[in-house]
Amino acid sequence: MADKDLHQILSQLSSLSHHNLDKAPHLLSRAKLSLLHLNALVPSSQTSPQHLTLARRVLEIGALLSIRLKDTDAFTRYYQQLQPFYSSNQQHNAHKGEQSKVTGLYLLLLLSLGDYAEFHTQLEGLEVAYGGKKAIDEDVFIQYPVRLEQALMEGSYDKVWGETKGERVPSEEFGVFSEVLVKTIRIEIASCAERAYPSLPIASAKNLLFLDSEGAVIQFANHRQWLPRDGRIYFPQQEAEATMGEKDILVMSGQVIQNTLGYARELETIV
Amino acid sequence: MAEKMDIDTSNGESKEEEKTGGPVAPAEMSTEKIISTNFALINQAVDSFDPRFTLRALRSIATLRKREDFAQALGAGIRQAFPKESNNARRVLEEMLPESVRQQQNGSAETNGKKDEVEVVEIAEVWAYLGVLVQVYLLDTASHQAGATFSLNLVSKLRSFNRRTMDPLSSKAYLYLSLFHENLAPLPPSPQSPVLTLRPTLLAALRSAVIRNDSDTQAAVTVLLLRNYISTADITQADLLVAQTQFPASAANNQVCRYLYYLGRIRAIQLAYTEAHSNLEAATRKSPTTGAAVGFYQQATKMLIVVELLMGDIPERATFRLPVLEKALAPYFKLVQAVRVGDLGGFVKCVEGNEGRFRGDGTYTLILRLRQNVIKTGVRMLSLSYSRISLRDICTRLSVESEESAEYITAKAIRDGVIPDSSLDHEKGDLLTHSGRDVYGSTEPSEAFHERIGALLGMRDECVRAMRYPGNRNREAGIEAMKARERERELVGEVLEAEDEEDEEMGGGMDGL
Repeated sequence: MADKDLHQILSQLSSLSHHNLDKAPHLLSRAKLSLLHLNALVPSSQTSPQHLTLARRVLEIGALLSIRLKDTDAFTRYYQQLQPFYSSNQQHNAHKGEQSKVTGLYLLLLLSLGDYAEFHTQLEGLEVAYGGKKAIDEDVFIQYPVRLEQALMEGSYDKVWGETKGERVPSEEFGVFSEVLVKTIRIEIASCAERAYPSLPIASAKNLLFLDSEGAVIQFANHRQWLPRDGRIYFPQQEAEATMGEKDILVMSGQVIQNTLGYARELETIV
Repeated sequence: MAEKMDIDTSNGESKEEEKTGGPVAPAEMSTEKIISTNFALINQAVDSFDPRFTLRALRSIATLRKREDFAQALGAGIRQAFPKESNNARRVLEEMLPESVRQQQNGSAETNGKKDEVEVVEIAEVWAYLGVLVQVYLLDTASHQAGATFSLNLVSKLRSFNRRTMDPLSSKAYLYLSLFHENLAPLPPSPQSPVLTLRPTLLAALRSAVIRNDSDTQAAVTVLLLRNYISTADITQADLLVAQTQFPASAANNQVCRYLYYLGRIRAIQLAYTEAHSNLEAATRKSPTTGAAVGFYQQATKMLIVVELLMGDIPERATFRLPVLEKALAPYFKLVQAVRVGDLGGFVKCVEGNEGRFRGDGTYTLILRLRQNVIKTGVRMLSLSYSRISLRDICTRLSVESEESAEYITAKAIRDGVIPDSSLDHEKGDLLTHSGRDVYGSTEPSEAFHERIGALLGMRDECVRAMRYPGNRNREAGIEAMKARERERELVGEVLEAEDEEDEEMGGGMDGL
């Protein structure tokens, strides 16, 4: 009975379109309840293969839908729940497609949160799980966050911007992250530009920051406390740093005194 | 522990000479003789509750393995230890050896009779020692499946014994158990590898070792678990293990080395490069650099080099010239050269060419992260050499795809402090470098000195703490000398008094002597 329920819910879920996404959480909780009846929500050695596949499908759909609804906590939860399915010994190769998508999305989420340590840890584990580099190289969903991370680390933000636009994005769900990523790189570029340029004409600032109009540039500039004048933007931080030079000595001499006292203490201490 | 053993080896050897009266050097002893002398050592260890003798017995495993008659000697040893053929313990051991060895009963009985001045008691440690030798034999003959099952039985029996004298032997048994499982198909890092089934066993062993205060087994099993997790890339689990257990402080040096190595690897993957660097440096310093263990030293040095590169430092050229390291580190040398110059094309070629070797060393994923380091170094080189260089030229030099990327990359480099005192000229599309910054005028030299002084002071403290003073004998001799001097002084004093009193009383003072 629970089986039939599940099948019904699944078909409903897959037929959901953009408009009625808010019905999704309700349907998902019903699906999870039926899974619990079948003891399939947490996989064990006793669950039959069909139940396992069903459970996987439900959880994967749940993960993808929560991305569309921009609910990152729910997505992380679904991903954690999917982990035992992915690492169990009975891999159903037919359904591998969704696994790479979900994993790719999780990596992208980590990137947008700036959690590089976890990103790399997950990446290490992935090579193992996929059995070799070839599979990962050809996998679009995973290559996307990997490429993004490389570009972010290097600093070639135009590549990042290019990736988030248009056709390079593997699927809709990845597109949700594009906004977040563009905001992140915009902040990064702004802080780089402050230090690197003495001043910038507003037109070039518009191109550099991937903004749409000069008005947006001026708004952004005011937000970051830059000084727009005569069609150029001047960055005040650099001047402030020049005056810091003299104060430095007072600050540093305190440091030097502390260090030297430390050496004297260590040398005289009886260990 | 190594130092204590070296100082007291002289004591152990003299005892051995009394017992056997034969030559002491193992090279001249026959394999059977070595095994029977080891029985004597183990007996001594149990009687005196001193682990040094068991460790000596275990050290001879390396020489025993290489002997051709190892199997026969092992069979003879089993028969010597358990003369009754019906003994269950003996049967378990003998099952693992080939047929030919079991039937050599008549031949060995004679040879044993002459030399057998050592009494062998049927104690559990001897059985455990023979069990470990059987494991070694099975490993050398590559019978991994048989070895795996035998080892599982062996360790479950060893766990049931709660004897401290068994500790060094059981830690060896766990080591071989782990080695057998690692060689069973499907090999790690496949997720179906039998290594995974081993984890609950090892975890249970760790629990019982901690409860029983068995630091040898605790150290060995922790290291084996870390090795297990890293082989299947379960870094989070390895990290949790490290966070929740304590590595015993009294562990043997080689276990400490291994632990530091695995810990360094975990930290490197988690991007904590400074911590990884200190761990790996300690591992390379403590590891033996000669003999059979040189492989570990090579491996640890490889990791250390990669972590240094990731931190932005260039490792010293002298490391690559050491004779033991030269061949092993050859691809890494090329890698370092590419990173040092900032040559992205050369870097990519080097990585692709040596991919197999890097994967085998487990450093491949770390090396892929070096790409940004190469670019940063390249930008720095360019800014040092040119006072003004166009972005287009930067683009070609760094093998970057577009001018825009070059602009963003240089802007990021400026912000990260890779090329201080530079600025970009957007209209002309150039990178300008303002020189004239006096490094010595700033506090940079003092900070660099501070770091070095701190490190050296720490080393000095460690050395002072590690100093050992000559033993009691000298001190007692010193105390006796002091006492003798005191007595002399008293005598002299009394004689002088007697002289004074002589004037008053004749002969009375002499009684004082």
